Amino acid sequence: MPFISKIERQSDYGSFNSSHPIVIDNGASYFRIGWAGENEPRVIFRNIVQRPRHKTTGETVTVVGDHNPALLKYFDCTRSGPRSAFESNVVYQFEIMEYILDFGFDRLGADKSQFWSTYDNPVNCLDALSAEAYPSCSPLNQYLFKSVAGQIDHPILITECACNPVQSRGKMAELLFESYGVPSVAFGVDAAFSYKYNQQLGICNDTGLAITSGFTTSHVIPFINGEPVYEACCRTNVGGYHVTDYLKQLLSLKYPHHISKLTWERVEELKMEHCYIAADYASEVQLFQRGNKEAENKTRCWQLPWTPSPVEEPPSEEEIARKAALKEKQSQRLREMAEAKRSSKINELENELKGLEFLLEELKDIEGDDEIVSFLASRGYASKREAESAFAKVTQSLRKAKGEQVPSEEKVDISAAEKYYLIDIPDDELSAEQLKEKRRQVFLKSTTEARQRAKQRRLDEELEKEKEKKLEEQKRMYVVFLLRAKYKELSEKLEQRKRLKTNGNNANGNNNVSGGVGRGERLNAAQRERMRLLTTAAFDRGKGEDTFGQRDEDWQLYKLMSRDNDDDDDDKPDHDETELARISSRLREIDPTFFPGSESGASASEAPHFRPLTKEDFQIILGVERFRCPEVLFNPNFIGIDQSGLDEMVGVSLRRLPSWVQGLEDKMTSSILVTGGSSLYPGMGERLEAGIQMIRPCGTPIKVVRATDPIMDSWRGASVYAAAMQFPQQTFSRMDYYEKGEDWLRSYKFRYTI
Amino acid sequence: MEREVLEAELVLPTHMKFKKIQMYDKYPKGQARGRHWKHLKQIIQAENYENYPPHLPTYVNIETPPSMHPGKKICDITGFEAPYFDPRTKLRYANTEVFKTIRSLPNDYVQRYLALRNAAVVLR
Repeated sequence: MPFISKIERQSDYGSFNSSHPIVIDNGASYFRIGWAGENEPRVIFRNIVQRPRHKTTGETVTVVGDHNPALLKYFDCTRSGPRSAFESNVVYQFEIMEYILDFGFDRLGADKSQFWSTYDNPVNCLDALSAEAYPSCSPLNQYLFKSVAGQIDHPILITECACNPVQSRGKMAELLFESYGVPSVAFGVDAAFSYKYNQQLGICNDTGLAITSGFTTSHVIPFINGEPVYEACCRTNVGGYHVTDYLKQLLSLKYPHHISKLTWERVEELKMEHCYIAADYASEVQLFQRGNKEAENKTRCWQLPWTPSPVEEPPSEEEIARKAALKEKQSQRLREMAEAKRSSKINELENELKGLEFLLEELKDIEGDDEIVSFLASRGYASKREAESAFAKVTQSLRKAKGEQVPSEEKVDISAAEKYYLIDIPDDELSAEQLKEKRRQVFLKSTTEARQRAKQRRLDEELEKEKEKKLEEQKRMYVVFLLRAKYKELSEKLEQRKRLKTNGNNANGNNNVSGGVGRGERLNAAQRERMRLLTTAAFDRGKGEDTFGQRDEDWQLYKLMSRDNDDDDDDKPDHDETELARISSRLREIDPTFFPGSESGASASEAPHFRPLTKEDFQIILGVERFRCPEVLFNPNFIGIDQSGLDEMVGVSLRRLPSWVQGLEDKMTSSILVTGGSSLYPGMGERLEAGIQMIRPCGTPIKVVRATDPIMDSWRGASVYAAAMQFPQQTFSRMDYYEKGEDWLRSYKFRYTI
Repeated sequence: MEREVLEAELVLPTHMKFKKIQMYDKYPKGQARGRHWKHLKQIIQAENYENYPPHLPTYVNIETPPSMHPGKKICDITGFEAPYFDPRTKLRYANTEVFKTIRSLPNDYVQRYLALRNAAVVLR
């Protein structure tokens, strides 16, 4: 991660002399502020402002820069996203700029310098003092008053874009002078500072080109003897913002399910981690198109957090054994319970039986009907018989409870021969008794046989019915099959027709959009005919003799032309449609599994629902995107920007250079510095070198170098510059501002060589 | 405000001791034109760059002209080189598989792909 914000408040603001300049690199993506002469800016943060609403108190607050995102949970950010003061690379929204400067100065320590403790109420002092009164004070007093008066008493060096419109520069001056009361301001171009810094390090010559690719724009600026030549510089409105945005859009189109995961910050990280610039886009993309091993190696994969849905594993042996044991135990317990219940019931019944036996014993001893009745009544029985029946019942149930077989008239299966033992014996060997018996047996036998025969017949009938049913089912299946096939065919046909019709209608509906009827779309036959008639009617007028209307049939034309005509046959359902309805109703009758309309694609659309989400579904694959997105720097037409890419810009810039200097172009190309955040892509230098070779004559010396730190160099250059002795001559003071006004800034020209 | 928010000093105070005047006070809402911020287009228009001598570098004339090379045509979906163009969706595509996908894309996706290269149909 090359970009890390530093937002800790500095405590040594008070220790800097009031002539010590503050250096601000006001980049479209990052704001860097620090003290002149130091090597690192003190405070760095993203150049954005959010104005969310605090959730509990409901007040709208201002949050500058990027903070710990966890803290933003207390705020409602749905209404307002991060806002920037920039449009393209020009500052236009100075209210946001003010918040950013507030925050920057605050974190630099301006608000809490050590002198504040002396004055509790500086506002009152401020009223009493006029800003111009300072020079009369002693140095120490001046220092104190400075703090009291409430202003930033340091010269400011702030960066701006090349050829910043005067309006923007003037507003910035107004903000710095009037709101912060700074004594003087200087405006410089970040790319120039970066080039100067690297020149001092000996990386590039004093004459050369700076290619700087920033957040929203890319510039090529030529330098002659250490001074930028704006007449020959050029700008393309493509930068890191476009790369990230392109990547974000492509990924969210490719993975619509993970759109919430693809935040700007996350995509920016992906870009910085994985994107590179292809040496040659066409050959690189062919590599991926072939899809061989090399392409696979170049593919990166971002695994989103994913928890596998619980998979139901087949239970282990142990588990099964455990379950079986548990079951066994339970059944054992149930059995025991049943046993206990039975034994208790038996006990109970035995007791009752004993009681009854005793009762009956007693009853035997008692004599006299009346006494018996009264005795029985005292025991709850109406008569002796009742008591006996109760005894029998109890005995019976006791036997049952004990599991003994209760004797009943069960059929004893006696073989036929044994049953009808008399049948085969001739009559004369039998006695009268036996004869009677024999007759009975014969009768019995014949009836049983008849009964069996009837049973057999019934069975046969049933079998027959079964067979018939089967046959019928087969027939039905065949019919269903046929009907289904027909249904499918018909519905497809209708679908096709509908598609054609809607296409036609779309084309008509798009009239006002795309400008012509049916451009690129097909019309159906009727509509085509209508269009033909209309066009002939429109363009045939006046050609030759107009004989229209002489014959009555001519007037039929209007009927054909009118729109109602083809709407008419839309309204009445045609033959196919009725046929389809008939088939579907018939199918519904005979086939319970049939659902109209769900025939085709049902399996395809339902399958993903049941497929469990796998690890692969939570992967974001970066293949071609890795170099397709940064390619917009070289081919802005990928994102619809009709400008040249970085390599061509060099050619444009060289062409714009004054032509009277001999060998200037070669000098330029032998010292090309690449800087800015977008120059960090691997392969940038090689690609630029190759691209410039293509547009320059053969044998041109070409040397492309990358800045030592493409991101920080412009701040460091500015810091070195501001620390130089001659810096105060380059500034624009508050006096100048009040005397000459904003418009004087138009002729303000910053010199980088001092 | 929660303690951790205050500790992080997340919220910018409305008044800073080192400032002479707050823009909010300088240009009260709705009263002065000072708080109306011109957009870049308006700024450029107001600068009247056409009145400047042509050799003077300005924000407008340092812009790069359109490329001299024919634009590379790449497949809108895959990024491959795209020899084909679908007249219905107006998307460029590389091969038959991509063609299948673009024909099954819903219209708003087609429009979003077109918008990526600034070719979407804009309803006005």
